[in-house]
Amino acid sequence: MAPDHTPTPPLVFTPRPSAPPPPSTVGVMGWLRANLFSSVPNTILTFLGAYILYVFLEAIISWALINAVWEAPNRRACLDAVGRSGACWPGVIAWLPNLIYGLYPKDQVWRIDLGALILVLWALPLFLPRVKSKIAIGLTAVLVYPFLVSYLFLGGEKGWIWMVLVAGSLATFFWVWLTAISEMRTGLPFLALLVRTLAGPDPIPERARLVRQLAWAALFVTALVIVSRWQLVEVPTRLWGGLFLTMVISGIGITFSLPAGVMLALGRRSSMPLIRGFCVAFIELFRSVPLITILFMFNTMLPLFLPVGVEVDRLLRAIVAVCLFAAAYMAEIVRGGLQAIPKGQYEAAAAMGLGYWQSTTLIILPQALKIMIPAIVGNFIGLFKDTTLVSIIGLFDMLSMARAVGEDTRWLGLFIEPFFFITMIYFVFCFAMSQYSMNLERRLGGGQRR
Amino acid sequence: MTTPAIELVGVSKWYGSFQALKEINLSISEGERVVVCGPSGSGKSTMIRCVNQLERHQRGDIRIHGRAFGGGARDDEAIRRETGMVFQSFNLFPHMTVLENCTFALTWVKQMPEEEAKRIALSHLERVRIPEQALKYPLQLSGGQQQRVAIARALCMQPRIMLFDEPTSALDPEMIKEVLDVMVELANTGMTMVVVTHEMGFARQVADRVVFMDQGEVVEQAPPEDFFANPRYDRTRMFLSQIL
Repeated sequence: MAPDHTPTPPLVFTPRPSAPPPPSTVGVMGWLRANLFSSVPNTILTFLGAYILYVFLEAIISWALINAVWEAPNRRACLDAVGRSGACWPGVIAWLPNLIYGLYPKDQVWRIDLGALILVLWALPLFLPRVKSKIAIGLTAVLVYPFLVSYLFLGGEKGWIWMVLVAGSLATFFWVWLTAISEMRTGLPFLALLVRTLAGPDPIPERARLVRQLAWAALFVTALVIVSRWQLVEVPTRLWGGLFLTMVISGIGITFSLPAGVMLALGRRSSMPLIRGFCVAFIELFRSVPLITILFMFNTMLPLFLPVGVEVDRLLRAIVAVCLFAAAYMAEIVRGGLQAIPKGQYEAAAAMGLGYWQSTTLIILPQALKIMIPAIVGNFIGLFKDTTLVSIIGLFDMLSMARAVGEDTRWLGLFIEPFFFITMIYFVFCFAMSQYSMNLERRLGGGQRR
Repeated sequence: MTTPAIELVGVSKWYGSFQALKEINLSISEGERVVVCGPSGSGKSTMIRCVNQLERHQRGDIRIHGRAFGGGARDDEAIRRETGMVFQSFNLFPHMTVLENCTFALTWVKQMPEEEAKRIALSHLERVRIPEQALKYPLQLSGGQQQRVAIARALCMQPRIMLFDEPTSALDPEMIKEVLDVMVELANTGMTMVVVTHEMGFARQVADRVVFMDQGEVVEQAPPEDFFANPRYDRTRMFLSQIL
C-alpha cells in the first residue's frame, strides 16, 4: 500500500479547566493555619500575644466599667467607694456640657446643635444616590454654609451686609433641599422643574431666565424675612470651647487647606519665577517652624504689626495660623501626587488642544488627588489632633476643658477619667475619618486599578 | 505649488548643551504618508514632537498648513489642533471610560453638546473596531485595544494631520498587527500621516516616503522601494542590515 501523503491535521489545543485550590489553604482553618499556627515559634507568639491582649483588656474593662463608680457627689465619695481600682465617672458626666461646648452659655447651646444639624442636612444630599447636582451642593456646603453658621454661633447686632449674607446663605440651603427632593422625585433639578411647569417644556431663554431669577428672589425674600426676625444674643469667641471649638478650628483648617494646598503646589511647579518663588518661600517657611511657634507668633506678634485700634479676635488669629500651617503641609502632599502622574498624561491633554487649566483640573488633579487620598486624610487627622495646641494660647479646646475638670474643687485631682474620655472622642472622630478615606479609595478605584 | 501640510525650515533644538536636532529641513505635502526611522537617540521622536510643539524648538520655523508656531499661546493651540497624536505608551486617561476619553476634548475644547460628541466618538470607535468596549476603563483593555482607542481619540478632534510616535513599540507581538491594520486603513483614506516606527513592513506597504535620521540630522529620504533597495549612505545600510 502506498504511504499516505496527506499532511497530518494539526493537534487541537484545548486548555484544561482550573482545578480547585488545595483544601488546607482556604476557609477559616486554612487562614488560621497560614497566619497563626504555621510553625512552632509562630504558635508560641500567637499564644503570647493573646495572653498580653487579655491582660491588657481585662485591666481596662474592669477599671472603666466593672469597678467604676457612676453616681457620686464628689471625688472623695468615689475614692471612699472603690479607691483607685475603678474609674470615677460622675466628674466627667457633670463636666460633659463643658467638654463639648466649652463656656458657651447653657441657654444658647441649642445654636451649636442647630448649626451642626444644618451642616448634616446640607451634606446629606451628597450621599443620596439619585441626587445629581452633587458638585453644586458640595460647593455651596463649603462656600455658603459658613456665613449662616458663623452668625448662628456668634450672634449679636447684624448690619445690613451681614443680614444679606446670612439670608443668601439660608436661601441657598432651601435651594439645596428643594433640588435634592425634586431630583429624587422627578430627576430634574428644582429650577429646571420650575421652568418647565411655569414656562412650558421648551421655553424661550429669556423667559426661562426670568423664572429662575424670580425663584431665587422668592427664596431670598423668604430667607430675609426669617433672618430679620432672629434676635441672637452675642456670644464672644472667648466663651467658645470644648469639642465645639476643636471642630470649628479643624473644620475651617481642613476646608481651607485643601484648595490652598492645591494652589500652592501648582504654583510651586509653575514656570513663572515670581509665583514659584513665592510658593516655595511660603511652603518652606511654614513647614520649617513648629505649629506652636506659629500660633505664638500670630497671637503675640500680629497685633504689633496692625494699626492701633484694629483688634483681631484671638480665635481668628489661631484659625489663620492653623490654616496657613496646614496649607503648607497639604501643598507638599499634593505636589507628591502631581509628580506621580506620568508626563504622558500632560502631553496627551496638550496634544488634544487642552489649555493649562483644563488639563490640570480635568486630567491631572482628579488622578493626583485620588492617589493622595490616604496622605490627605492622614493630614486631616493630624490637623484635627494638632488643634489641641491652641490651648497654649489660652483657647479652651477639649484638652483644656479636660484639664479643668481636675481643677474643680469638687473633683480635685480627677485627671485620668476626663483624659480617657476625650481620648475616646478623638479616637472615634479620627477612626471615622480613616474609615471614610478607605471607603472613598475603594469606590473611586473601581474599574481602574492598575 | 500648494502649501505643504508640514514644513520644517532649519529647525534646531538643544537639551542643555546637547543638540538634539541640527537644522532639520523637511516638507510634507497634504495627503502624504511619511515614515521616519533611525536608531534610538537619532532625534526622530524629538522631531515629531516639535511638529505639534510638545517640545519647543529653539531655532528655525515650523509651519502647519502655512501657519508658523510662535505667535502667542492661543494661536499655537489653534495650530496644534490641526494635528492629532498617538503615543508609544497610549496615554489614555485612566480615570475616564473609553467613551469619555473620546468625547472629553469634544465637549471641553470644541464645546460640543454631549449627544453629538457621543455620536462622533462612537463612529470613530467603530472605525477602529472596538465600539463594544466603550464603557470600559482603559486599563481593562489589552495594549492593542488601548492603542486603537488612542487612535480613535485623536481622530475625534478631526485633525488634518496624524502624528504617530512609535505606536507599536510598547505592544506584545500578537497585538502589533491589529494596530497596524487600523493605521493602514487610515492611510487609505488620504490622511496626512507622519509615523515614527521600526515596522519596515508598514513602511513598504503604505509609505510614500521614508526618512532616515541619525545624530539629529536627516541622513536621507526616498520612496520606500528605493530606500530599501539601494540606500545611498553607509549609515543607512548599516541600520537596515541590523533591523531587517
